[in-house]
Amino acid sequence: MTDLGPGENVGTGVSSREQALADIFVRLADTMVDDYDVVDLLDQLVHACVNVLGVSAAGLLLDDQKGNLALVASSSDEARLLELFQLQNNEGPCLDCVRSGSAVTSGDLDEDRERWPLFVPAATLAGFRSVAAVPLRLRDQIIGGLNLFMDSARKVPAADRRLAQALADVASIGILQQRSLHRSHLLSEQLQNALTSRIAIEQAKGVLAERGELTMDAAFDVLRRYARDHNLRLTEVANAVVTAGLDVLPE
Amino acid sequence: MDALSVTGAGIAMVTAAGHRGVVCATDSLSSTIEELQLTLGEGPCVDAAASGAPVLVPDLADATDVATERWPTFLESAASAGVKAVFALPLRVGAISVGVIDLYRDTPGDLSAAELPAALMAADAAALALLYLDVDGEGAFSDDHTARSSYQMQVHQATGMVMAQVGVTIDQAFLLLRARAFADGRPLAELATDVVARRVRFSVEDE
Repeated sequence: MTDLGPGENVGTGVSSREQALADIFVRLADTMVDDYDVVDLLDQLVHACVNVLGVSAAGLLLDDQKGNLALVASSSDEARLLELFQLQNNEGPCLDCVRSGSAVTSGDLDEDRERWPLFVPAATLAGFRSVAAVPLRLRDQIIGGLNLFMDSARKVPAADRRLAQALADVASIGILQQRSLHRSHLLSEQLQNALTSRIAIEQAKGVLAERGELTMDAAFDVLRRYARDHNLRLTEVANAVVTAGLDVLPE
Repeated sequence: MDALSVTGAGIAMVTAAGHRGVVCATDSLSSTIEELQLTLGEGPCVDAAASGAPVLVPDLADATDVATERWPTFLESAASAGVKAVFALPLRVGAISVGVIDLYRDTPGDLSAAELPAALMAADAAALALLYLDVDGEGAFSDDHTARSSYQMQVHQATGMVMAQVGVTIDQAFLLLRARAFADGRPLAELATDVVARRVRFSVEDE
């Protein structure tokens, strides 16, 4: 799978943002035809959100089907910690979004201190001033949420919210894999698969961080680069690093 | 298993070395079905072990289910034994694979909205219990913290780091980490945070 970063703006009459967006959807369509790694896809989606929506950070939570949400992808450490903070304290816009099944936004977190007494101070401390959350939907089921964090107080324009919802819908389809939609129980299998993959990737990051004296983010980059270069799925590489001693560190 | 309204259940252990065996079964039918899958090398249990994802087959007689095409011999044997639905849940902690729990029913149908979480949580508990069995056969310390901490990614990152520090397998590293947390009387997630921040190191001599 190719990166979902901003595309090269070669057109003259097309804004770089539109170009980047077109690139993303084309690449996603390409990706989902082949066998792909769901965690890799979700990870690229949150980075795509940051690139095309101009937000500071993004994170993605999935229903673990045991009564909790689990963090599966985040664009930065700050977003990751803030998502975990919400899960631990059982409070915040992302949780409200998943529970209600509809988008939740705060254009200025200062004004929502009463609504989220624990979350707002934590978000402010992390440098965020506004948030938006859109649900991951599958028919009538809510399977998670996509969350956007911004470092200035601003309301996400309606067009951007729709775009965020479109990206969230792509994530939902990515999790389910289009071709198997007729199997009602497949969703459970795929959700569990995504969560297990995420854990295996974290284990592999730990191994690489220790062996290569790397940060966790750098370890993730090494893992992903190896997967791309060798045309392997990210989870396969992670499993091989952890259980088969595969050496993926560059010389 | 009563809470899940299933007919029977069996746990098969699949080690990293490829060794396979039935650990326990609630009845002789479950035991037979488990052995059969391991012997044939086909069936939901085998697929769940290989892929790491659950394989949920609410109706083994449903020919349109893509999963069933892969198990011609297993389906025949299961049908003659009166098994109508199988739910195979891998017992895993990320890349650590310890086995599979199979739930059987003599009537077709999906696990209900209440049964699925119960089954998944039972699988989590079974995975942790099997990780103990593998090492010392004793559940020496409470594992409530471990179950809850598995939501915290630094626990898994720390497990990988300990594996590289001590030069053991991932399941052994997970055990070392939990044993240290227990010995120090502190939550696993807290110790893991220290390992990831490189404030705590494990060395071969310590262990």
